[in-house]
Amino acid sequence: MSDRKYRPFSLLRVVALAGNTFTGLVRLKAFYFLLLFALLLIGSSAFLAQISFQEEFQVLKDISLGAMSIFTSLLAIAATAQLLPRDLEERTIYTILARPVPRYEYLAGKLGGVLLLLAVSLLAMAAAFFALLFVREKILLAGMLGHSAGLRAAELQAAVRSLHASAFNADLLPGIAIIYVKAALLASLTLFVSTFATSNLFTVFVMVFVYFIGHLQSTARDYWLAQDGSGWIAKSFLALVALVFPDLQRFDLLDNVVAGRVIPGSLFAQTVLLGCIYTSIYFFFAWVAFQGKEL
Amino acid sequence: MIKPAVSVRGLTKVFPTPFRRERIVAIRDLNLEVAPGQVYGLLGPNGSGKSTTLKIILGLVPPSSGSTAIFGRDSREVRSREAVGFLPESPYFYKYLTGIETLQFFGKLCGLRGVSLRSRIDKLLTLVGLESARDRRLSSYSKGMLQRIGLAQALIQEPKLVVLDEPTAGVDPVGTREIHDLILDLKRRGITVLLTSHLLAQVQKICDCVGILANGALIREGRLADLLAIENQTELTLENTTPEVLAQIQAALENSPARLVEQRQPQTTLERLFLDATNPSTDQ
Repeated sequence: MSDRKYRPFSLLRVVALAGNTFTGLVRLKAFYFLLLFALLLIGSSAFLAQISFQEEFQVLKDISLGAMSIFTSLLAIAATAQLLPRDLEERTIYTILARPVPRYEYLAGKLGGVLLLLAVSLLAMAAAFFALLFVREKILLAGMLGHSAGLRAAELQAAVRSLHASAFNADLLPGIAIIYVKAALLASLTLFVSTFATSNLFTVFVMVFVYFIGHLQSTARDYWLAQDGSGWIAKSFLALVALVFPDLQRFDLLDNVVAGRVIPGSLFAQTVLLGCIYTSIYFFFAWVAFQGKEL
Repeated sequence: MIKPAVSVRGLTKVFPTPFRRERIVAIRDLNLEVAPGQVYGLLGPNGSGKSTTLKIILGLVPPSSGSTAIFGRDSREVRSREAVGFLPESPYFYKYLTGIETLQFFGKLCGLRGVSLRSRIDKLLTLVGLESARDRRLSSYSKGMLQRIGLAQALIQEPKLVVLDEPTAGVDPVGTREIHDLILDLKRRGITVLLTSHLLAQVQKICDCVGILANGALIREGRLADLLAIENQTELTLENTTPEVLAQIQAALENSPARLVEQRQPQTTLERLFLDATNPSTDQ
């Protein structure tokens, strides 16, 4: 054996595990759902040709960003849920952990592979979305110029500016970044659930439950706390729910983006930080649960 | 003092049964030692605790009591597995990877990279006879090929200890012979081998030492030659003999306290017969 020095943490090992996880997910056709997204975009753009361009772009952004959020969240849950159970069932985990690979590196590699998959998927969806915005803008612009005979130069310039502002703008990017942060949180939480789940179906079921609770809890909390009779039991229960389930509503900033409102820098930074904290905490829980697991 | 390649001290493993009070004792107070360079066979019927023992040695399962160590380092330390190659029973690797990608993946886990990894992969693929299948996905490999790529991954970082769980399970006689030759080659190179097997005749050919487990306890252990020797008997094998010579031997025996237990014509083994029939070029 060569004189390689052992390191308790090796980025090379984590990258190897992440790369292998990504390759596995790609070759297992995890990207097929992107076709669904493309069909949704094409279908919605054909339908929207009937309405004014401001409405068209607003609805297009609403549908596209909403679809990107749901698809990315679903992919995060579905892709992560199968990783550990499959490795255990097919015993591939033995050959990996019989190497000098700490369990936290194994988990980090798995999560890293999913995060890479989510990034590539989101970039592909964003590219398709921006391409559609660009094409629709060019078509509408050509139409506008074709019917501009009665307009003055200033009116035409204003109309073109309005069209341009309604299509792509850089304010969409923070919204897409938040979609990624939310998906990363869900992937980390799914990884934690899969460390003690008995099957990947159970993990998916729990995560769908968590997804809905996570989205509804802030609304429920606001409603119950507004009631005069909300006593300490209700408050304790709400505190417990808030502690166990992530408040996913905090990551829904897409309404602002669709309405053309700029996400303030501080709100964006806070949301990203919150997502990173949630992701780290769930990863830590996953490691604690997995560390003592008998394989 | 030379540290044993593997040492097991007072090892006990108890598995709780969910929703019941009773517990399953998989291993009871097991003690064994594997010397460096030795080929050690851990034998036993199904459920005797062989695989659990290997898993504890490799740090995959924690012991209930007692300890295991690899070259003096506690198995619970990740670092103890630095010089270990492992081939699990009926290995299932990532079927979406090709042969070469599989070895690259395990090589990187062992800290190999670049030219040294590439040359090591080439050498191992040649060793296990899979050069022509290097770019095929493992989903198209036969069971014997999977076993061979498994052996290659176990040897990727030139380990000092190789642990093989049923290495010939489901492999045809030719493949089994190749695996045996590979194990003997490892032994010649001073690499310690710890293996489990059901196939006792094969273990007999390659192991220096064996331990026999039953119900989680070690019931026999020692050097194979010592365990198998029948102390009060001597075996003679004659070539080109004549009936007259045999008559003289028998006459000599009649005038001595020795008794002829058996006289028969030696036979080849079924394995030898199969190998010769299927591959006439096989060395005798």
